[in-house]
Amino acid sequence: MVYVQVLINGLLLGGLYACMAIGFSVIWGVMSIINLAHGSMIIMGAYITYWIWRDYGIDPFATIPVSGAALFCFGFFLQKYLLNRIVATSVFLSLIFTFGLDMVLTNVHLELFQADLRAVHTGYATSSLVIGSLFVPYARLAVFGTAIALTLFLMVLMNRTRIGNAIKATSFDVEAAELVGINTKQVYSITFAIGAMMAGIAGSLVATVHQFSPFGSVAFTTKSFVVVILGGLGSIPGAIAGGLVLAVAEAYTAYWQPGYAELVSFGLLLAVLVVRRRGLFGKRFYAEL
Amino acid sequence: MLAAGILLAGPAFLDQYWMRVVTFALMFAAMSAALNITAGFIGYPAFGDVVWFGLGAIATGTLMVKANWPFVAAVPVSVLLCTVLSALVGPSLLRLRGHYFAIGTLALNEATRALVQNLDVTGGGSGLALPITTGSVESTARFFYYLFLGAMALTVLVSLVIVRTRLGYGLRSIRANEDAAAAAGVNTTLLKTIAWTLSAALIGLTGAIYAYWISFIEPPAVFDIGISIKMFVIVLLGGVGTVFGPVIGAFGIQLLESQVWGNFLGYNLLILGGIVMVIVLFLPRGVVAFARSRARAVAALLSR
Repeated sequence: MVYVQVLINGLLLGGLYACMAIGFSVIWGVMSIINLAHGSMIIMGAYITYWIWRDYGIDPFATIPVSGAALFCFGFFLQKYLLNRIVATSVFLSLIFTFGLDMVLTNVHLELFQADLRAVHTGYATSSLVIGSLFVPYARLAVFGTAIALTLFLMVLMNRTRIGNAIKATSFDVEAAELVGINTKQVYSITFAIGAMMAGIAGSLVATVHQFSPFGSVAFTTKSFVVVILGGLGSIPGAIAGGLVLAVAEAYTAYWQPGYAELVSFGLLLAVLVVRRRGLFGKRFYAEL
Repeated sequence: MLAAGILLAGPAFLDQYWMRVVTFALMFAAMSAALNITAGFIGYPAFGDVVWFGLGAIATGTLMVKANWPFVAAVPVSVLLCTVLSALVGPSLLRLRGHYFAIGTLALNEATRALVQNLDVTGGGSGLALPITTGSVESTARFFYYLFLGAMALTVLVSLVIVRTRLGYGLRSIRANEDAAAAAGVNTTLLKTIAWTLSAALIGLTGAIYAYWISFIEPPAVFDIGISIKMFVIVLLGGVGTVFGPVIGAFGIQLLESQVWGNFLGYNLLILGGIVMVIVLFLPRGVVAFARSRARAVAALLSR
């Protein structure tokens, strides 16, 4: 029975992992930018939720539109005025630039909210759905549901709307996209904005069920790495699958031998890279392979 | 020549604080020049190369603490370990390109750190306290200054040799167009693995010296991906793929960092991060190339 409980815990966390990684995946898949500040953007969303909850007593789930909108604007202007200058250059530059940004954001978070671990406390945090001897905490279930719903919403946005088509066209072939009249710089700004928005929302969800501090950003970024590589770059169903696989693998490893969770997740990442670079759901044309 | 003379005479006129700053600069110059062999000469962004620094440090620490080996015996064995391991993982990792190679080396570093943290023989998560060097504070400082200076000189020498031999020629052809190089009969896998292994061994050497110098090491600190980023910033600032660029970059970053730490404690991340962003935006080809193009522009103005 305890194995089923571990599985449930893993799956519930997996939804959150998917939501954390999806923005990272879209930005990387479309623009070949590995955004090392992704973790800091998640933390930024978490602090927005924490701050609104602390000062105005508003339920963390109700803060999602605020954190999403704030990060959308942040991402849009960041890409428009800074990242568009280096987007077509080299892997080095975007990696190092976003690392610098991560340092800056971490310092700003430290200055505004100090280094303490923060958490949002809700009235329903401790109540659970009980099935036999299994516990499913309501808050985690709601986080899981929201995360999966938003991830699916993004899939619809990418596959069924004009802007989604423009983003995909740009990611396949920039020159061809410009030939048919797409303003690719604008598309890049919107893509980064969407990726940042998803990070902000994931941050709000993190704040609802976990503790966080400014220094957590690196861990969130590396988790996103693993999920994206496992599931396949640029693939939204892949991000969901990758998130679930990573979280369940981590949950069982942590149950068996707590210290080895990271070793397993990075070992998994290396194995996928060497054996099947496309990941579970990746398509060839999304990026260099 | 002049610079080499000044560096050799350094301990004669530097005080304790500046000895430390310059020793750190020499260490990062050695490591960044070694990283440059992979990242600059073949253009493979070995993002997780701090793994060799960490392994060199942990191996030396383990041999000295757990097996009571002397420093002079522990260093070559640590370097050998890095050489063998990098030669083993090289061929499969170097099949990856671009971002995937960067992530692959990152994963190698994180997996190695997680493994080392869980092994008892390496001190695990609690770290290793190395034996303290005998001798006065000044003589110890001088000892490590010259060790890192030697490591840097060796790395620069290796880079010079690579650039001037067939190996460097082959590496440049891979950087320009790997598929074309392979089609023209260049054994790309072999050349890439040789360059990557040399780079790993040299980074491992600085890691080994660092362990004895700093005398207390723990896995999260020596496998810190921030060290990798710093090496990349240094290479970028100095000029990717140049032999002396990383040395200039290391001194530039280290002097800057000592000033920021000294004067803006509390905002150091903000300022250093901001500097990194500015370098990427405005000096993407490095200070050496920037100075050269400026010099050319001035010369063109004067000759008119």
